[in-house]
Amino acid sequence: MSKIGWKENRSVYTFLRPEERTKNKTRWKENVVAYTFLGPALLLLSMFLVIPSIMSVYYSFTDYYLLTPDMRKFVGLDNFINLFQDPIFLKSLVNTLEFVVWVIPLQIGAALGLALLLNKQRKANTFFKVAYFSPVVMSLVVISVLWLYLLNPNEGIINNVLTYFGISAQPFLTSPKQAIFTIVVVSAWQGAGFQMLIFLAGLQNIPGDVYEAAQLDGINKWQRFMYITLPLLKPTSIFIFITTLIGAFKLLVQPMVMTQGGPVNSTMTVVYYIYQTGFTDRMVGYASSIALLFGTIIGLVTITQRKLVKEDED
Amino acid sequence: MKKWLLVSISLLLMFAAVGCSKSESVNSDGKKTITMWVHISDENEEGKVYKKRVEAFNKNYAPDNIKAKIEFIPRSGNGGGYEDKVNAALTTSTLPDVITLDGPNTAAYAKSGVIAPLDEYVKDQEDLLPSIKQQGTYKDKLYAIGVSESSVGIYYNKRMLQEAGVDLNTLPTVDNPWTWDQFLALCKTLKDKYDKPAIDMQLQSKDEMLTYALTPFVWSADGDIISKDGKKAEGVFNKKPTVEALTFIQTMLKEGYTTRTPVKQAFETEKYPMKFSGVWTVTDMKTNYQKVDYGVIPYPVSPKTKKLVSPSGSWQFAMTQTSENKEWAAKLVDWMTNKDSNVELSRTIAALPVRYSSEKVMAKEFSDQMNVFLKQLKETGHARPVTPAYPQVTRAFQQTIDDISFYDQNKDIQKVLDTHAKEMQSAIDKAN
Repeated sequence: MSKIGWKENRSVYTFLRPEERTKNKTRWKENVVAYTFLGPALLLLSMFLVIPSIMSVYYSFTDYYLLTPDMRKFVGLDNFINLFQDPIFLKSLVNTLEFVVWVIPLQIGAALGLALLLNKQRKANTFFKVAYFSPVVMSLVVISVLWLYLLNPNEGIINNVLTYFGISAQPFLTSPKQAIFTIVVVSAWQGAGFQMLIFLAGLQNIPGDVYEAAQLDGINKWQRFMYITLPLLKPTSIFIFITTLIGAFKLLVQPMVMTQGGPVNSTMTVVYYIYQTGFTDRMVGYASSIALLFGTIIGLVTITQRKLVKEDED
Repeated sequence: MKKWLLVSISLLLMFAAVGCSKSESVNSDGKKTITMWVHISDENEEGKVYKKRVEAFNKNYAPDNIKAKIEFIPRSGNGGGYEDKVNAALTTSTLPDVITLDGPNTAAYAKSGVIAPLDEYVKDQEDLLPSIKQQGTYKDKLYAIGVSESSVGIYYNKRMLQEAGVDLNTLPTVDNPWTWDQFLALCKTLKDKYDKPAIDMQLQSKDEMLTYALTPFVWSADGDIISKDGKKAEGVFNKKPTVEALTFIQTMLKEGYTTRTPVKQAFETEKYPMKFSGVWTVTDMKTNYQKVDYGVIPYPVSPKTKKLVSPSGSWQFAMTQTSENKEWAAKLVDWMTNKDSNVELSRTIAALPVRYSSEKVMAKEFSDQMNVFLKQLKETGHARPVTPAYPQVTRAFQQTIDDISFYDQNKDIQKVLDTHAKEMQSAIDKAN
């Protein structure tokens, strides 16, 4: 789990591939065994992922209205043309990108910081690990409601603390300017524990002798971090970066519970908008077209990212 | 590659097989079964009343070999859960004979042919309150009937008003309502006295409450959200009456008479002297805040028209287009909303009645506060716009309120209205 760099993956792949051509018969047998093992997972995957995905690609070219499923007809690119003239969709796209751009450095930075703090063998560290990880296992809805209380502009603890230190009370989620950043902070707080654990595993995989050798050369702590820890954490970081990025694009629960996309659409995200057009407005065709477009965008981002990383590695 | 094809085909067949199975409408003992879905839990007071009424129905029609079956599918906060199930049943055509639906859904369900008109079967429609008929009617046909009604009014704390020097005898009544200007003057008195917002108008609720509670101000100014035929929002919503109504709401905010960030339960705990809320708050006050001595006054009205308009709305019963026993399905709808059902429900959950006949009974039993709501509803109740594009129309309205409450960023109300009228119009055009 800890070493998920591309190099390792490639070597495993070449190891599995048979060096010589085996006889067809044994190969067939192997295939049967393999597919039997794959079967249940594939069945579930296709039922809940593959088939619905294919269906929604098809729906995105139709005018499917939730209440009249039998009357849907093919409308070509109409949905996509409307999409680019839909101010709320465009706003939700901007909001989502804004969220991603802010949450990624904040969440990964926090996770790395925590991991570095907890990387030494101390008795209290188990307690802190549990403490920092606990928001990850809590339901997002519970966390959102909790923060809603903390952030209440009148009675929330946070504003009480702020006013105690002479800082004026902030509107937080009730202001179109602050709402998205408030959600960024809450999300980073909730998610960082997970990345922290993976960073910790990565840190523990860095061989001690590298540090010992460096110590003989007389480097300081900062150099130690910059030239040894960070480069050796690279495979872990790449994995964390990609998974966090994809997770951040899917932002839904926090705005749904805390702001309902408001004030003035400032926290409307693409996934929330898909939900709203599909289930509240019942325009399944239109919602599918947003999903298809958005999926393509995420796909492109991920591919570009992998390309960049690969070039860097070679 | 072939294997993949085989797997996908067999999967598709499986789905098809599931889709085909349909519940039988005739039982083995020769009894016809009418199935009904309701959106609440059987442990809730409302659910218990429904259950009792279905039992009474079965007893009454036992000689006809009819049996009604009620299934409880509790909905979550925003209507999910229950509506998901209805939507799923639509794709597999496994809807029951009778369903419940929220008032604003009437048009969408009727237009899509999910529910069938009741006129042929339900003859006695004169007894229904106008607001209930309005809510259940689409293109001049009655599709659904509610069994409870609701309304909104202004709750006031008697002690706090008196201490601010307000003579309670001069307060408005349904027959003699106050204008917006008079109401603003009252708010000023209260704000000056307590140095707090005078009223919680629930402007922070970003949901249906905004549309439900605030549209009457527009109607009072002789404006509308969409045209009567349901085809136009542009040139209807973005007109002067709406500007006047929203200017009143904006003034309330600007002057600090109300706020977007109220203290929780401020009225119930005697921090704010007034609260703008639905009839359900009566029950809340009775069970949780018995110490507060409060009264209710009706909506303030536009100074130009002096016309009192109040909101209304509820969940309703309707029969489905796919029902094989339309006559009996309609009978069940009629039964669930008749005088006896209505009176029993009104007594149990303190909901407003939907019929003139039951209203007469309840007016004698209700408290003074409830009777203000009842009179306001009976004489001035107005249903929300009936259009298949309702979800988009209501959201555009809610966003309008959201926008104008940030008055320093949106000084020009007309501009805000033009933007959202356009959104409504494009949704209406798509839906029609």
